[in-house]
Amino acid sequence: MSSATVGTPRGPQWTSTGRPPGLGRLLRTVGLTAGALVVIAPVMWAALSSFKTTSELSRRPPALLPQTFSFENYGEALGSFDFTTYLINSVIVTIAATLLTLAINTMAAYALAKYNFRGRDGLFLLTLATIMIPLQVILLPVYEVVSSLGLVNSLLGLIIPAAATPTGVFVLRQYMLTIPDDLIEAARIDGAGEFAIFRRVVLPLCVPALAVVTIFSVIWRWNDFLWPLVVAQDESVYTLPVALARLNSQQVIPFNLVLAMSVLSIVPVVIMFLLLQRHIVTGIAQTGLK
Amino acid sequence: MRSRVHWKQAVLAILAGVCLVVLAGCGSPGEEAAPEPEAQATKIDPASFRGKTLTYVYFTDGPDEQATRKLIARFEQETGAKVKLQIVAFDDLETSLQTRLSGGNVPDVARLDTIFPYRDDLIDLSQYFGAGLKDQFLPGPLNGAIGDDGQLLAVPSDLTMNGPFVNVAQFEKAGVPLPTAKEPWTVDEMVQAAEKVQQANGTDFALAMDKSGHRVSTILSQYGTTLISADGEEALDPAKGGKALDLVTGLLRSDKLSRDFWLESGSRYAGANEIFLAGAAPIYLSGNWQVSQFAENATFDWAVVPNPCAERCGGFPGGKFMAAFRESPNPELAAYFVEWMNRTESQRSFVKDSLFLPTRKDLAESGIEYASRNDDMAVFQKDVEETPADSFASVYSPAFSGSADALVAEIDKVVAGREDVAAAVEQIKQETSELVEDTSR
Amino acid sequence: MSGSVADGAPAGVRSGAGRSRHRRRGSPKSRGQRWAPYLFIAPNLAIFLLFVIWPALNGFNISLYDSTNGRTFTWAGLDNYRDVVTDEDFVAVVGHTLVFVVCFVVLVTATSIGLSVVLDAQRRGRAVFRAAYFLPVLLSPIVVGVIWNWALDRQVGLVNTLLDLVGLGRPGWLVESSLAMACTIFVGIWIHLGFYSIILLAGLQGIDPSLYEAARLDGATAWQRFRHLTLPLLRPTTLVVVILATINGFQSFDFIYTLTGGGPVGGTTLIVQFIYERAFESPIRYGLASAAGVMLFTVVFAVTALNYLVGRRSEAI
Repeated sequence: MSSATVGTPRGPQWTSTGRPPGLGRLLRTVGLTAGALVVIAPVMWAALSSFKTTSELSRRPPALLPQTFSFENYGEALGSFDFTTYLINSVIVTIAATLLTLAINTMAAYALAKYNFRGRDGLFLLTLATIMIPLQVILLPVYEVVSSLGLVNSLLGLIIPAAATPTGVFVLRQYMLTIPDDLIEAARIDGAGEFAIFRRVVLPLCVPALAVVTIFSVIWRWNDFLWPLVVAQDESVYTLPVALARLNSQQVIPFNLVLAMSVLSIVPVVIMFLLLQRHIVTGIAQTGLK
Repeated sequence: MRSRVHWKQAVLAILAGVCLVVLAGCGSPGEEAAPEPEAQATKIDPASFRGKTLTYVYFTDGPDEQATRKLIARFEQETGAKVKLQIVAFDDLETSLQTRLSGGNVPDVARLDTIFPYRDDLIDLSQYFGAGLKDQFLPGPLNGAIGDDGQLLAVPSDLTMNGPFVNVAQFEKAGVPLPTAKEPWTVDEMVQAAEKVQQANGTDFALAMDKSGHRVSTILSQYGTTLISADGEEALDPAKGGKALDLVTGLLRSDKLSRDFWLESGSRYAGANEIFLAGAAPIYLSGNWQVSQFAENATFDWAVVPNPCAERCGGFPGGKFMAAFRESPNPELAAYFVEWMNRTESQRSFVKDSLFLPTRKDLAESGIEYASRNDDMAVFQKDVEETPADSFASVYSPAFSGSADALVAEIDKVVAGREDVAAAVEQIKQETSELVEDTSR
Repeated sequence: MSGSVADGAPAGVRSGAGRSRHRRRGSPKSRGQRWAPYLFIAPNLAIFLLFVIWPALNGFNISLYDSTNGRTFTWAGLDNYRDVVTDEDFVAVVGHTLVFVVCFVVLVTATSIGLSVVLDAQRRGRAVFRAAYFLPVLLSPIVVGVIWNWALDRQVGLVNTLLDLVGLGRPGWLVESSLAMACTIFVGIWIHLGFYSIILLAGLQGIDPSLYEAARLDGATAWQRFRHLTLPLLRPTTLVVVILATINGFQSFDFIYTLTGGGPVGGTTLIVQFIYERAFESPIRYGLASAAGVMLFTVVFAVTALNYLVGRRSEAI
């Protein structure tokens, strides 16, 4: 019966049919593994194929493994543009933009969640509303603003304008709403200043939401090509996705190079995620949505 | 409390909107006509360019990037000016330029595939170089460089020509002879030959073609019609267009031309070079820009053959232009650069290295010694001469891009069984005339 | 089950809910406290107004004009709106968008809940599984479209190669309209599943385990516990996921464009592609694109607001 979980503190056991628990666990593991394979397979396939030559790639039916694991495609892809500059730009923009986003979004979310001021609800709804403006439509007006502020063709121009992400504010506000007001009141009574309360009481309780917004921001900025299209004009300011977009829009698309570039663009984010995963996970596990 | 706040927001928004509308309405609803070209050419002193910088917005098709950089290095050496090559993805070219023009961040020179969106922003080059500059270039490509009032708004910098590639090895195995310039195929003969070679070699398809209205226009031209006439009017002949579409849709429906390939890419452009490289089709209808890529990557013996003939012979052209912007920080330098890059020796060096076709009369006459695949390029060059003049007018018309897309969309519908060819031709004609209306002034 | 344990909100949320406006009204505030909200929100608001609101209003303005190059404008009034609505493709595009968004939101929410529950129960190798499912989230949407377009190709794709090995033939995934739409929804789910699952996982782990203990002692089966305990307690998080999924659904364009190009025969062309083509492809008509953009914005705003208000009414937020 389902009493196998007596004593274990966490979560429901998925033994719904009364079979011995071992089978349930096995089914679950098998199911998860199968699902994980389906999820990863295409990416692995692309990664493997990034080592193939053009003629290997066009072979029908395609071979699973490349003939040789030569890095020729990578070399050629990297050689077609100034990889180091693009990489450095991507890194700088992603990190700086994420930090800026975290800073201003948390403050704004805090104001919207824990204070009561005129226009608060209207502002929140407005924030929600603008999530849905497709950048393509406002590209020209945004460029004019960026240009009149002298931010064109600069890294700042890539970092600042998109930092006020409505999604970030939304997610953070939702989490902050669940923080008991009593904690904040108590801190006030103790004589703490507003910003100190924010920094020392509220922020630490928001770690899961911060983690979510961080991942969000990093992924988006790292892969974003629309903003650089608007703001960057010089190779000195281009980021990695620009290189991929360029390869992809040549008259004869060098698919082998596109694959190599795609893999290259994935690797840093994956590494970062794997490194931070434990931290993010413990953060989520420790605090959770109380 | 909440509803009041919302109401206030709404009023503010409306007020803001009204203000914007009024402000924008005060902006000019149109620009004045372009200035008349001056009678006397202004003299340019190249020595004045020493130390100045020029921005050149560029997009690359692959092999041409190095060729351009080589030329630029020479230019910098000669004039002492510095050229910043700003490479953008082709898909982003128009957006990139439009945003820069509206934001006041105008580049000096750009490589364009059409001058239409910028015709009010480009320098009339005859202002600096006189009426003689025009005459150095072939009349066909020039079509796309002339403004409404006859100004020379750009210089055609390279030419492309559509044409068939064949898998020589497969043809030999099937024992089917290749056409020559003196004895080209008819379109029907080409299809028959393809089918024979397909059967003998067991390939997946008989033909391959890029999924593009531009390529289909080759067939339209061979059947004697074109999407847009020299006067810029809609000009598709229903009977001839019908025959051409019958051919294409027939091939697609019988999967002699890969139906999957055509439908899978939706409204995006897709090149079928991989199908040809895989040896899955003995004939590939594309253009000269594939030559360098095939030279590098093909694992079989291949060649370019002359375009087939139906009512007419020849292929269908394409090409790029170089233009200088009026609001450039240094218009003289910009104009000089454009002219310099397209002088005889410059263009010779450029097309030689990138395996493009020349747009200059003198180079077309004398021929180019390409570093490799000379014979193949010669076939393309010959087809340039065979190509009827209305093709050039058609491809450089501002409405062409949209009509080519409509052409493909309608073919898709016929292949999917949603309409018949006659209805498709009707639709194409209608959309083309709407586009012509939209893009004329 | 009477549902007496949960009335829609976990214990912590009820007491700490921010809806205590009325209680706060009369209490004395320091000067710092009164200014604080404005200062907190100022930087975000400034950037927001400059780079989002102002251009959006501008975009709204542009929709009343005709423009082919973003610099010269001719007044068109409501013509653009009329042109959008009477565009022969518009109705189909709207239909496709609705189908995609509804199916995507429902299916991704359901699968994410399922996955998060299973992950929660799985202790061994949970981190590995989580990382695996999260991998698609890290990819650029263009890369996703490129990879799947290739994988779903009838002749050379990974999927059909495998299916053929098992003798299931070679379906034309991207060449039949309905299959193509199904694939688009599938790839959309593929991209976002990991992300939403992690959010739901966090929500799951916030549920007091003693509630399950109590329910089990009452004799509830696992399925009953899931349906009457887990699901209701998960509502606030589910709402967050539904809203995010709705937004992501409407915004989906990049991966669809590289996956199907909007085909076959326009079968997967959604509204953002409709806008994109008029704003970026020749012949450019910014006014028309802006008008369509305004319409899209209005619809999504309405839907999101509806989602939010409905969710709020059940005390979930």
